[in-house]
Amino acid sequence: MQIVDIDGFMARCQAKGVERDVSLFMLQGETLAVDDYVMVHVGYAIQKIDEQQARSSWELFDEILAVTDSPNA
Amino acid sequence: MSKHDARFWLQQIRELPLSKTLKVMNVCGGHERTISMAGIRSLLPEHIELIPGPGCPVCICPEEDIYQAMQLGLHENVIVVAFGDMLRVPVNVPKNEARTLQQAAAQGADIRPIASPLEAVQIAQANPDQPVVFFAAGFETTTAPVAAMVAQGLPDNLFLLLSGRLTWPAVAMLLDSDQPGFDALIAPGHVSTVMGPEEWQFVVDKHHLAVAVAGFEPDSLLAALYSVLRQTLEDRLFLDNCYAEVAHAGGNPTAQHFLHNTMEVVDSNWRGVGTIPASGYALKPAYAAHDARLQFPDHQDPKRRRIGEMPPGCDCTKVVLGKIYPNQCRLFGTACTPRQPIGPCMVSDEGACRIWWSSGTRESEQQPTRTTATES
Repeated sequence: MQIVDIDGFMARCQAKGVERDVSLFMLQGETLAVDDYVMVHVGYAIQKIDEQQARSSWELFDEILAVTDSPNA
Repeated sequence: MSKHDARFWLQQIRELPLSKTLKVMNVCGGHERTISMAGIRSLLPEHIELIPGPGCPVCICPEEDIYQAMQLGLHENVIVVAFGDMLRVPVNVPKNEARTLQQAAAQGADIRPIASPLEAVQIAQANPDQPVVFFAAGFETTTAPVAAMVAQGLPDNLFLLLSGRLTWPAVAMLLDSDQPGFDALIAPGHVSTVMGPEEWQFVVDKHHLAVAVAGFEPDSLLAALYSVLRQTLEDRLFLDNCYAEVAHAGGNPTAQHFLHNTMEVVDSNWRGVGTIPASGYALKPAYAAHDARLQFPDHQDPKRRRIGEMPPGCDCTKVVLGKIYPNQCRLFGTACTPRQPIGPCMVSDEGACRIWWSSGTRESEQQPTRTTATES
């Protein structure tokens, strides 16, 4: 869900037009701001969501293999 | 095609040189829901079997705990609150008695569904003169918010009937058995988000099987499936993380801190399965004043452990352990439906039987449509 407003350990979050009050108590180690995305489970934000990342380590492995197997390598 | 597109990974899977059947277990109701609702099984090459395993905390919540919560509601002047799908799980009692928390509520008990520990606190604060018992069943992802609630400070009148469980010990139990029934594992995304993906490294190190953490969109699940299949085919095993945007290395240290500070890991009973070592959470002695097991001991009955297995004829235990598919239970879709559930797997949104029914599988298939999971 995307953070709309933060008040202490509570945040107003929205996803697909639905707004909910969400506890940030389990993300005290994170720097959170309005517009950040968090993964919410049973009313608690359990993690800040990073930018999209590689889907599988095979992506990296294949890139390395492609380079090392290349005749120019 | 984008690597965040399910079709990319589906194509990758189809190009793998699979020659023998590989059985891949998931241990998360959310994964099974995505697989079933998206019809992923029907899109895969025939050599791949996707097996739902122990991924439903409601399904393995001890029957005696549900019974105790019902008796507290019926015989004590307390408000019982529980996550919604717990309210319809049947216990094994004579027909003239309340069989579920919902039926106990119909008989006058004050039993309320909640969706968050925050609601349990709000209900306790709104009813300061009445004890409120929070019957909290769940895996790590749900138990960590319960621990956070405890750490943040409980109202004096809020008590916990804790039935929290850890996911990996059930997988370890299967892998330590003679017939695990699967060749690779898709590890749960939200459990890994809280506890850290590294928790599943033992699958590679100790059991020499492929494992990948997956999220809940088809592209993440299919990437994880591709990863474990290719790991197995190339015999190059590692812990892959196909949900890295949410399941960070090390998990959520604050959540783990709250779990560690408020709860102990103890040997625990899994309904139909038995005791699994170090597989459950209990409140630490410092929170004894809020432990419903200590403050309301009258309604615990150790004898129920013998009668508290799955209901007669119900194959939920085999379903939970991935030994059969849901529709291989002879009660599936006949005696047991979401409207009239017999076993917990047909009740919970995370139960494999309920998920299969909801995604359109309606009839019992007693002639196995796959090689049985125990043959591998």
